[in-house]
Amino acid sequence: MLASINRKLGLLLFIVAAVYLYLSFQLPNYEYAPIDADVIPKGLGILLLVLSVFLFFSRVVETDAEKAKRDIPKKELGVIAAVFAMIFVYILLFEAIGFIITTSLFIFFCSWFLGYRAWKTNILVSLLFPIVMYAIFVFALGIVLPRGILPF
Amino acid sequence: MDAFQGLLTGFQVALSLEGIMFVLIGVIVGTLIGMMPGLGPISAIAIMIPITYGMDPAPALVMMAGVYYGAVFGGSTSSILLNAPGISGTVATAFDGYPMAQQGKAGKALAIAAISSFIGGTVSVVLLMLLAPALSSVAISFGPPAYFALMFMGLTAISSLSEGSTIKAMIAAVAGFMVVTIGIDPQTGTQRFTFGNVNLFDGFDFLIIALGLFAVAEVCMLILNRKNRSLSDDQKLGSLKLSKADLKEMSGPVSRQSFVGFLLGVLPGAGATIASFISYIFEKRIAKNPEEFGKGSIKGLAAPESSNNAATSGAFVPLLSLGIPGSGTTAVMLGAFLVLGVQPGPLLMTDRPEIFWGIIASMYLGNVFLLILNLPLIPYLAKILSIPRPLLISLVIMFSLIGVYSISFNVFDLYMLLVFGALGFAMRIFSFPAPPFILAFILGGMMEQAFRQSMTISNGSLSIFVDSPLPLSLLLVALVSLLVPAFLKWRSNRLAYKQG
Repeated sequence: MLASINRKLGLLLFIVAAVYLYLSFQLPNYEYAPIDADVIPKGLGILLLVLSVFLFFSRVVETDAEKAKRDIPKKELGVIAAVFAMIFVYILLFEAIGFIITTSLFIFFCSWFLGYRAWKTNILVSLLFPIVMYAIFVFALGIVLPRGILPF
Repeated sequence: MDAFQGLLTGFQVALSLEGIMFVLIGVIVGTLIGMMPGLGPISAIAIMIPITYGMDPAPALVMMAGVYYGAVFGGSTSSILLNAPGISGTVATAFDGYPMAQQGKAGKALAIAAISSFIGGTVSVVLLMLLAPALSSVAISFGPPAYFALMFMGLTAISSLSEGSTIKAMIAAVAGFMVVTIGIDPQTGTQRFTFGNVNLFDGFDFLIIALGLFAVAEVCMLILNRKNRSLSDDQKLGSLKLSKADLKEMSGPVSRQSFVGFLLGVLPGAGATIASFISYIFEKRIAKNPEEFGKGSIKGLAAPESSNNAATSGAFVPLLSLGIPGSGTTAVMLGAFLVLGVQPGPLLMTDRPEIFWGIIASMYLGNVFLLILNLPLIPYLAKILSIPRPLLISLVIMFSLIGVYSISFNVFDLYMLLVFGALGFAMRIFSFPAPPFILAFILGGMMEQAFRQSMTISNGSLSIFVDSPLPLSLLLVALVSLLVPAFLKWRSNRLAYKQG
């Protein structure tokens, strides 16, 4: 029954729409507005519900190009997950340790991880990029980036 | 203020030292990011937005416009040299540009692309200059129902014109609209879908969505394609010179497709990508020797290149004069306007003539700069294509993170960038188009407001949308634009089903 990918996606979207619609019905009333805050969300929820049913029952056959897009080796998905994990760690440490150090480390290790082996250039870029960006943002644009443990 | 006087005001902005400098920065950045295969104009604009904080709006927006049309201009280089389109608007450029490059005529192909782009862009600025003020003065009388209907039509148009499934495009649009309902409702103060989380009270900033759904998701695709070849140092470009015969062969397609491209750019939902394909097919249909198309035909290269650049300026017509973007890219442009506190729309021309005319005037200048950048300087500029992919990926991730952090100084938003990046990647894998999502996200708040204003005027009766001719006809067009392609697809599928 859930053979085709569109069926799976349709079902998933149906659940999303149902939850969204349920939450829309929980929205409090505000008496003085002719059109209250819940009208548009309810409409959107119903629309998504209908569209997800259409997607579920559509007989459109997936084209080869679409299938090829979906067909990603597990290993490559692992690479993307690892990059996301690196970004996550970066965000976690960003304010505590500071922009320049975390950014340097991120650029170096992320580029290395993705297969960049020219380590001299890599070190140069990972040092110069954060320092130049920091200078532009903090001194030229007046946007303060976290200084962290560095004194400047 | 008449158009002539307006244009003088515009040139005062564009030809000031500041103006010239920011046009130049805009088109250089646009060309470079546009060239990178996988990174499109939306990412280019979104990455540049933080730079404009605190800038004077006129030069800032002149620069942002330059980033946009610069990206479309520059996208052709990688289509020709690598057969990897820099942006989706230059996919059709590769059809004949890449074969030409393989025949050792890369320089010639680049020159044809640059000249066609220049003419398409310039013709289209002239048309923009004539049409935008006229549309502004008509639109000034539009009420909330007409505005609602216009935006609704924009969303249905982009959904039905998206590549692939119309249902999936509509789902993407509804999802974008849903995301914008998160936060405190500006009219009643009701908290919607915030779960009491303070970080969600103001909703999501559009930059999180634009950078997540485009820049971060494009990075994921770059990671998958990181082993694809980049430009090798020994690739010869060949001569950039064009003969008289070449120029003569270009002249027909370029002059026709500049107009076609402009018109398609003005219409909601179309934009550079669709314009370039339609122009390519158009020229192939009327050509005396259509079999040459796809094998390095000059006409086949000139047509999409003049068209996509013409469409880019055309897309500024609804943005500047109605304040309503018709495509994903102009939706992000609207975001750039709003960040600077400028509301485009019918009042822009009279209230902020220096911005309205400044942008238009700067496009003349920008196209000249782009011609110089993309013709004599192209051998040097193309070197950027040899940047190693892993390094490029790390840097784009950094630009996105800095961009989001510098608008809110809130780490929560950075996590949300990651969430929307994952969503954008999933949408790409499962063939849900992202432009309808971002357009709905940008239009959603405005549409809800227009809808509620209309309903307040009519005391809660929906008849206000069908009582006057303008909203009614716009809604009918919207309906037809959804039903006709859906019906055609359904019928062809049914036929295929019966036969298959």
